[in-house]
Amino acid sequence: PADTLDAAQARVRSAPAPVTDVARLCVCDLLVAQCDVNCCCDPDCSAEDFSLFTTCSVPVVTGDSQLCSQKAAVYSLDVEANPPERIFKLIDQVNPSIFCIHATNYEQALYLKSPEIPTPENFDQLLDKFGGATFSAEPDSWNLDTDAQNPPDANETSRYEYGVPVQTEDAFLRLPSPVVSSWCSDANPAGFLVNQATKCIRSVSVEKCDSIQALSMLFYINSSILAVPKSSQMVNITVQSIVVQSLNGMRTLLSSSDVLRLPMVLDELCINAVFGVNYHITHTDTGEIIEAAAAFVLGAISKEALSIEQSFEISFTQENTQPVPLSGNPGYVVGLPVRAGFQPQGYPFPAAFLSNKHSQLTILQSTSTQDCLTAQGARAPVLFGYNMISGCKLRITAAMKCQPLAQTLLDVLKGQSFPEYVASFGNSQAQDVLDWVPIIQLHISEQADNDIISHTLQSSCQIPVSLAIEVKWTKYGSLVNPQARIVNVTATITSTTLKQLPSGREKIIPITSSVVFTDISSPAEPSYKAWPTINIKLPFDFFYPFV
Amino acid sequence: SSQLSSLPLQILLYVNGIYYVFYFLATLAMIIYKSQVFSYPDDLLAPDLAVLFLMAILEVPRLYLGFKGNLTEAEAPLGLSLGLTVGSVVLCVYLLLWQTYVLWADVLLNSVLLSGYGLESGLKVMAIAAFVS
Repeated sequence: PADTLDAAQARVRSAPAPVTDVARLCVCDLLVAQCDVNCCCDPDCSAEDFSLFTTCSVPVVTGDSQLCSQKAAVYSLDVEANPPERIFKLIDQVNPSIFCIHATNYEQALYLKSPEIPTPENFDQLLDKFGGATFSAEPDSWNLDTDAQNPPDANETSRYEYGVPVQTEDAFLRLPSPVVSSWCSDANPAGFLVNQATKCIRSVSVEKCDSIQALSMLFYINSSILAVPKSSQMVNITVQSIVVQSLNGMRTLLSSSDVLRLPMVLDELCINAVFGVNYHITHTDTGEIIEAAAAFVLGAISKEALSIEQSFEISFTQENTQPVPLSGNPGYVVGLPVRAGFQPQGYPFPAAFLSNKHSQLTILQSTSTQDCLTAQGARAPVLFGYNMISGCKLRITAAMKCQPLAQTLLDVLKGQSFPEYVASFGNSQAQDVLDWVPIIQLHISEQADNDIISHTLQSSCQIPVSLAIEVKWTKYGSLVNPQARIVNVTATITSTTLKQLPSGREKIIPITSSVVFTDISSPAEPSYKAWPTINIKLPFDFFYPFV
Repeated sequence: SSQLSSLPLQILLYVNGIYYVFYFLATLAMIIYKSQVFSYPDDLLAPDLAVLFLMAILEVPRLYLGFKGNLTEAEAPLGLSLGLTVGSVVLCVYLLLWQTYVLWADVLLNSVLLSGYGLESGLKVMAIAAFVS
């Protein structure tokens, strides 16, 4: 059995020998066990098949024509005979040239080289030779060159650059992510300054839950990060916060996050399993990592669950800065939120604007209940370029008072903190006051014509029923790469009068809010530099004495 | 007759010399042609070229000794020339049979040279016999 195994392995190691017998070589035999049409050399064809052919697609099969004499198989159809039959002749073809090859003492001279079959022994060498984008004939000399280059460079690039994998003690900082399929692969390194968010599926089992490394907090904070590549300065990963998620999805933030919680089996559940990790890395502006923190989401796995979805995120912040996500650089990018802010007190000495995630321009978000009074709080950010309309229904009863209702509706339409200024460019900095556009607020009151007389007599109750935000933007900059710039933002609140209802009756009024983006860019005309003109003038008295 | 020098040998040596120049240039040109047209790895090209140049190096003393021995009717140089001829014959047979690519032109050139060597060796033996006796 060992001998046959070796023999089988030896057979596998070499590719099958090429067919060189001219009589057996057939190029047009493409269908297996079937007769190919007009293929006179096909061994699957019978005499009846040959009688149906019209010509021979391959009339002659020869060996290398540079040999002085070689065998040739000549196939032809004899159409005179009835039925037509195939004629097969094996002849010796002679090359009349004086430079024909009489003999060779080198077997591979006239054949293509058989490639080496990879085996465990020669795999590394084959990979070195053929594994790159180009085949190196001498892989050893390449290695020597790169080794010589590396030591001088190592002293210069002792900092992280964009995209370089963040190195840790043993290997790289891993951000498990789906590769090819949705299953988690732990071999994805996190790149420096590359903010990533990935979600992948991990297969779990409750019995082995304390032995699966990827479910334990320790796996993610175990190895410390190197402050600069190839250095010995370590940065420990601290646990920033732990959020515990219950089986029904409710999340609770734990007050003490210094205790390491490892997964364990409790009542047929696996608790303290890692469901998500959020890395926050702080770096200096010279590419050195100074702090690393990880925020965990731990959860419980029930017995029936065979897989869980883990989500991972990493974000990089420069030290001493507040990260503000840009909505474009410099022009707004369609789909990114419109940045807005307030001007704190200090006019006429305008201070910087306050712009953070909580002061975005938002509009009311329609909910499934459609009741304005219960839908408070749900707001959607205004995304540049996306016209949006939303609304809710207001049920007015006779008992409702006008003033509180008007105030409530204003809150519903405008939200808790309606901003005063909108950033003109996607990357407007808070210090540049001129880059911010004030929101113009208009009030329009609808009045039905036939009620004018009655309104002048009784006290009118105006309630806002719609908020229309119109954002006018223009294309700014070069013709080939225009940037979107917000020029004007107008928020129009339309009010209508509320007539007093008889008691017991109720009325339903629709409340709408909308955002419209209008392009007011003037058509651009390409302008070219003026062609230089040759300005030649003859001197004044050139034609003296005739002129 | 008092003249022991062999006239046919002299003529043959003279023709051999001229033919060898042509043979050397033709074979070198054909090796260059073969290395361009066919796949001719370096570790097979080197022995073929070495044999050709070795033969050229051997040819010069061989012909000189043959001329000198025949004209001065001395058997020592002629005997030495015969020995060198044996070496040249071996190299010629290599180029005829064991070269990496043997073209038809190679076969022609080498067989003509080989027949020339054979005839020459016969005449040299006869001349040595005549000188000695």
